[in-house]
Amino acid sequence: MTGIILFKTALIVYFAAACIYGVSLWGKRVFPARLAAGLLFAALAVHTLSFVARWFPAGEPTVIGLYDALSIFAWVMAAVYLLLQVKTKTRVLGAFISPVVCLLMVVASIGLGGNVSAPPMLRGFLVTVHVILSVAGEALFAVASCAGLMYLIQDGLIRGKRSGKLSRFLPSLGDLDRINHLCLLWGVPLLTLGGLAGSFWARIVWGSHWQWDPKQTWTLLAWACYAFLLHQRLAIGWRGRTAARWSLAVFVILLVLLMAAMPFFGTLHRFV
Amino acid sequence: MRLVLLGMSHWTAPVEIRERLQLACGEGGPAPAELLGIPEVREGLILSTCNRVEVLARVADGETAVERLKTFIYRQGNLDAAELARCLYVHRDRDAVRHLFRVAASLDSLVMGEPQILGQVKEAYRRAADHRTTGVLLNRLVHHAFRAAKRVRTETGIAGNAVSVSYAAVELAKKIFGGLHGKTILLIGAGEMSELAARHLLRQGVGRILIANRTIARAEAMAAEFQGTAVPFDRFPETLPEVDIVIASTGAPGYVVTPEMVSAALRRRRNRLLFLIDIAVPRDIDPAAGEIDNVFLYNIDHLQEVVDTNRETRRAEAEKAEGIVAEEVAAFEAWFNALAVVPTIVALRGKMEGIVRGELEKSAHWLAGFSEEERARIEGIVDAVVNKILHDPITGLKEESLEKDELPYVAAVRRLFRL
Repeated sequence: MTGIILFKTALIVYFAAACIYGVSLWGKRVFPARLAAGLLFAALAVHTLSFVARWFPAGEPTVIGLYDALSIFAWVMAAVYLLLQVKTKTRVLGAFISPVVCLLMVVASIGLGGNVSAPPMLRGFLVTVHVILSVAGEALFAVASCAGLMYLIQDGLIRGKRSGKLSRFLPSLGDLDRINHLCLLWGVPLLTLGGLAGSFWARIVWGSHWQWDPKQTWTLLAWACYAFLLHQRLAIGWRGRTAARWSLAVFVILLVLLMAAMPFFGTLHRFV
Repeated sequence: MRLVLLGMSHWTAPVEIRERLQLACGEGGPAPAELLGIPEVREGLILSTCNRVEVLARVADGETAVERLKTFIYRQGNLDAAELARCLYVHRDRDAVRHLFRVAASLDSLVMGEPQILGQVKEAYRRAADHRTTGVLLNRLVHHAFRAAKRVRTETGIAGNAVSVSYAAVELAKKIFGGLHGKTILLIGAGEMSELAARHLLRQGVGRILIANRTIARAEAMAAEFQGTAVPFDRFPETLPEVDIVIASTGAPGYVVTPEMVSAALRRRRNRLLFLIDIAVPRDIDPAAGEIDNVFLYNIDHLQEVVDTNRETRRAEAEKAEGIVAEEVAAFEAWFNALAVVPTIVALRGKMEGIVRGELEKSAHWLAGFSEEERARIEGIVDAVVNKILHDPITGLKEESLEKDELPYVAAVRRLFRL
């Protein structure tokens, strides 16, 4: 019960942060963004407490529902963004991140108060690790794509010699590219480990490491794409515009595929 | 208010006159204390920068004081009166306040929005304060000017964008790279313009500077000055993979930097961002180089365009700033007027109270016939009558202080009641 109240509070504060970021973007002023970052931080803190309140009674982290997965997704996005903001001065990127976080939270809230106890098959340490790591990896890719979009806008402005108010307001290309680098660098290993954890668990409960169910296939595809991007970045030097374009494109394609494949997700591996 | 401001600035006086005054009024010049030597001057402050010399003073008698202050300035700069009269402006009271606020907010500067002027006003104030030549009015006024300047700075974009070509280049570099720490720049051609841009970039923390010039001696001289490295001119393409910003300004008739050079360098630098600045006419860098991914090419016209738009923006922001200044001038006037009214009200009340006490004392013998309670009631009635009579005049005085420039009521009340 406390968990739900905290979750809703977090949702409202995320929403407020997104609105103020919107104001900041609209007026091209940095001051509101500063305020919004504070709100985002507060929302993240409340959100964290909501996890504690939800998990504490169960005695262990329960991350088996769509609710939990999306909620963690949103949490990681917000947390990663705030961390990056400390490292690079990309205050305004929050204007792109916070609406996504909000949307995730709204969708997550549909499953609010749903089943807290998982079926026995989906309980256990490995399942928790699997979900948290995979979702965290994917959240990092989402941040990379937001940064990619902003990079392309800024790149277009500078290249087109239209370095007006908007260009001054947006973060620098160097910082946005650094975010792409960091997100790929951390996202790929996280998703890899998450996948491995899931696979080990599958071996235990289903008897085989791999099932070729739509969701596994989709995740494999996502993993392959991002591993490829990371490789290109490190080995060949896909930086700047190329990296931004690909990060954004891959994310959008994967999102579309996910939407399309959703109805076919089998009972075995779906979100409860 | 009896506030006067006399001075000359780049708008009114040629540099030959300004510099004579400036030498005389600068750091080694007369102490603001000398202003107080003029009998009419009660408080004073001297502001002297490379673009203006101004004297601000609170005076007892406007016109005589202005004449004497003019003589003061005339003596300092060793100028003749005719010369001076052409260049000097005199602002009084509200105009003086507005002028000071506009100066502090950098609205009167040659480059509108430049940040140094506020520091210079602060310095002038510090000098005056050290010599104890400021009092209630100037202290309040100058602090109010700081406030107005701060508001203009934070609430408008007047200082927000570069209005010189070399600074526009620095701003662009920041937009591309984020921080400039540890970045390397290459100057191809060691001209005056590139030197200026390099200076700006170095101040922003650029790490290393390479200089390629056809005359190697010139490159070496400049390298020594900037603690950089001179590179033989024909070997500069080899340095492209390791530099982040290139400033080209040679006198070459054709393109010195080709797209092939740039793409080869980009491969070797693994597509790290490269910012090419071409300030040469005719151009040094083939425009096709700017089409390459992760390469940004700006030539002198592009930079000039940035500067022009920025100037345009500044002008628009200046209107907003003038509004803020007007508000602050009004706020200061309200404070000042209240200041003049308050003592009058206090004096008026004091006089009435004195009359009441005096009359009650005269009738003390007769009053003794009443009981304690009755005496208190009589005193109460008299006080109430006085308060009721005073209520409207006092309200009127207070209102007047916020509405009108002159304070005829204050003067009238003082005369009528012989305060």
